[in-house]
Amino acid sequence: MFCFQCEQTTRGPAGAGCATDKGVCGKDEATADLQDVLIHQLKGIGQYVSRLRTLGVADAAADTFILYGLFTTLTNVNFNRGRFVELISEAARLRDRLRTAFEAAAKAAGQVPEALSGPAAFVPADNITGLLAQANVASVIAGRDVVGEDVIGLRALLLYGLKGVAAYAHHAEVLGESRDEIAIGIAHALDVLASNPTDLGDMLEEALALGRLNFKVMETLDAANTGSFGTPSPHAVRTTPVEGKAILVSGHDFRDLHELLEATKGTGINVYTHGEMLPAHGYPKLREYSHLAGNYGGAWQNQQIEFAAFPGPIVMTSNCLIEPQPLYRNRIFTSGPVGWPGVRHVTNGDYAAVVQAAKALPGFTKTMEGPSLTVGFGRDAVLGAAGTVVEAVKSGAIRHFFLIGGCDGAAPGRNYFTEFAEQAPADTMILTLGCGKYRFNSHDFGTIGGLPRLLDIGQCNDTYSALVIATALAGAFNCGVNELPLSLVISWFEQKAAAVFLTLLALGVRNVRLGPTLPAFLTPAILDILVNQFGVLPITTAEADIKAALTPLAAE
Amino acid sequence: MSDITLITRDGAKLSLAASPQETVLEAAEAAGLFLPAMCHEGSCGLCSAQIATGDYTMRGGPREPAADGSVPLCLCLPQSALTVNLPYPESGISHHRIPTRAATVTSITPAGSGAVTLSLTLQPDPEFGTAADFTPGQFMEVSIPGTEITRAYSLSNLPNWDGTLEFLIRLQPGGAFSTWLAQTAKPGDALTLRGPAGRFVLDEISPRPRCLVGGGCGFAPLLSMLRHLADFQNMQPTHLIFGANTEAELAVAAPLKALAAQLPNLTICYAVWHPQAAWHGFTGTAADALAQYLATATDLPDVYLCGPPRLVEAVTNVAQARGIPPARIYTEQVQLR
Repeated sequence: MFCFQCEQTTRGPAGAGCATDKGVCGKDEATADLQDVLIHQLKGIGQYVSRLRTLGVADAAADTFILYGLFTTLTNVNFNRGRFVELISEAARLRDRLRTAFEAAAKAAGQVPEALSGPAAFVPADNITGLLAQANVASVIAGRDVVGEDVIGLRALLLYGLKGVAAYAHHAEVLGESRDEIAIGIAHALDVLASNPTDLGDMLEEALALGRLNFKVMETLDAANTGSFGTPSPHAVRTTPVEGKAILVSGHDFRDLHELLEATKGTGINVYTHGEMLPAHGYPKLREYSHLAGNYGGAWQNQQIEFAAFPGPIVMTSNCLIEPQPLYRNRIFTSGPVGWPGVRHVTNGDYAAVVQAAKALPGFTKTMEGPSLTVGFGRDAVLGAAGTVVEAVKSGAIRHFFLIGGCDGAAPGRNYFTEFAEQAPADTMILTLGCGKYRFNSHDFGTIGGLPRLLDIGQCNDTYSALVIATALAGAFNCGVNELPLSLVISWFEQKAAAVFLTLLALGVRNVRLGPTLPAFLTPAILDILVNQFGVLPITTAEADIKAALTPLAAE
Repeated sequence: MSDITLITRDGAKLSLAASPQETVLEAAEAAGLFLPAMCHEGSCGLCSAQIATGDYTMRGGPREPAADGSVPLCLCLPQSALTVNLPYPESGISHHRIPTRAATVTSITPAGSGAVTLSLTLQPDPEFGTAADFTPGQFMEVSIPGTEITRAYSLSNLPNWDGTLEFLIRLQPGGAFSTWLAQTAKPGDALTLRGPAGRFVLDEISPRPRCLVGGGCGFAPLLSMLRHLADFQNMQPTHLIFGANTEAELAVAAPLKALAAQLPNLTICYAVWHPQAAWHGFTGTAADALAQYLATATDLPDVYLCGPPRLVEAVTNVAQARGIPPARIYTEQVQLR
């Protein structure tokens, strides 16, 4: 196996990347290799879908399969080798069908159908041993000796960014929102990757195009979330248990949460959010379920301890799953793209087994009181207070905004984000999104001009909301986003963050501070481009970075 | 205090400190790490592990390491810093004590060839509710009512939410639990259990085929594992070798018929050592059957082996001789008493 797609990948003297029999995330070699084969097939599917689109033919099933297939390969999503064997054979059947459709469509258009090579012509073995033997062709570092590290690095940036784009698009699609423009853009990116591009300039352009596409995807996801569940508004979320039977929902997928709330309505079972599900409480149509009782625990990397201690079943709806411990392996369920061998998977929204487990398990025996977390500062809530905010900036009450967002993780270097938030001066406002917020969201930051100093915009999925806020503020001050008294401090962990990162670059947002470490696939030459052309700033220390951010002319 | 480093089979390193008067197992438990262990007196072998580096003595007096160099950690007193190689992955370490549960007898039904199926229903528990939560392959310690006598039996059913525990028990003439089961036990009787415990469980991450070998009551954990594989529609090739002395002992294998229909990649070899004249199946021991199977196997399987000590030893030797590394041979010994 070789995988360097996430922040925690092995970094040793021999270079970066997980290349033994098991990745740092717990993904075993066979699963990693099968994921590579599936990605290779998806590139081939992208070749056909892209050409079919040129001929005016859309294939909704192929578009859906691409999103789902890419999502299964994100960090901490699907570890189930058997599932990948199934997906590989499904991909092979789909590719054959698309080939036939393409040939027919080309002939109908009076053209001689192009005979595609590369991934489009790949024939997967019919057994696991054969598939594993094919994996090196599909490896993200295939051809490295010939094309060099920089080409491999930019291809990786494209692929990993694309995975994030697909994951967000999948979240939107399950809520009924899809766009032709998105399907076309994703197939195009796969087609580009299938051609094994080598021109760094061209690839950078493709990466920016992907960033622009992701803006569209995030806008669509925002429409899907607000369209299904209403406009988020500020809401205090309880963080302590309520007596009674309990189910915990983690991951990002609001549709799954909604289905579970429906399935448990009237049963007396309480539903708690975990990790990135916390922002669900901001949506009126989710919190109207009185049994959506509160939030339990913190960010994803603490799940082994938190899930073990939770007195009911757990549903993991998307990233980020860690190896389920024996203590809770029988009572954790996966859904959507997620999987782990020997862990039960919920299909077609059938939560009967989860409800049965909740009834059998003890639940919470005592109601406890404690602090709450306020969520729901989406774009409407923040812009509703835009007048107050603008006045506070003009009067000097608010000196600066920090957007501290992104993923959390277990690495000690992530204390930077806690320190950054806590050391930010009292006349600065902190916006946050993603699970990185758990590093500081229990801290009392006080208020400025009647507004909380810490505004929780939502999930990493809500980047669109943050960008709308930034753009609206820029409008109010009659300046560009880069001229705002705003600094972005991004903690990245996996490929959704890579997609957001490309969007920020594509929108020309400069001086993004990125940490805790830079992606291992960014070579010094690529990093040089990002620093010089896009003003990307690797983080240093919280103290120095706050100081630099607040002295704009000197550092920025 | 000595620094103890525990290294799990999957390479995780866990550190703790131990005084010369406490065993590695006690020090680990004091640190909140509950390693697989049962008897805590050096006899069951469940906590055995190899000491890679360092000096130690054994509580209760000197004692030779086992053939594989392992010593029971429940007796091992560190006299210097120790590095211990644990023969299981990090996920095999519990951070909680093994639970004690109350149950009642639901039914006792003959399973053929002097074996019975004992079904119990767990009583609701403040911490566990009604869940029968275990990993297929694990066992429970059952106490004979009104005595201090306990016996460990592997579970043969699947984990479930209604508290059902099922054991396949071969009645041993004169055996304490067998006698209670045959003469006294009746539905509604209350029992105390401790468990689940044991590390004889499937490595579900392994991409290799599986070969399950057992016979008699050694079949119980394998049956649970097969039920689990069927439940999850596992597609990996699985070969079961069911060892028996005579055809009559094959009676307990009856549930396999239904399982075979659900597991298209399951192949079964019934190995009968001393068959009657009419036997057309494999004649020989389970070890003989494994040797024959491995002779033509292109992809060496992981081996799961449960039975009496002689069977375990013979089958292990066959598997190792064919080149299957010890780490891929998972064993559970059945004590007949």
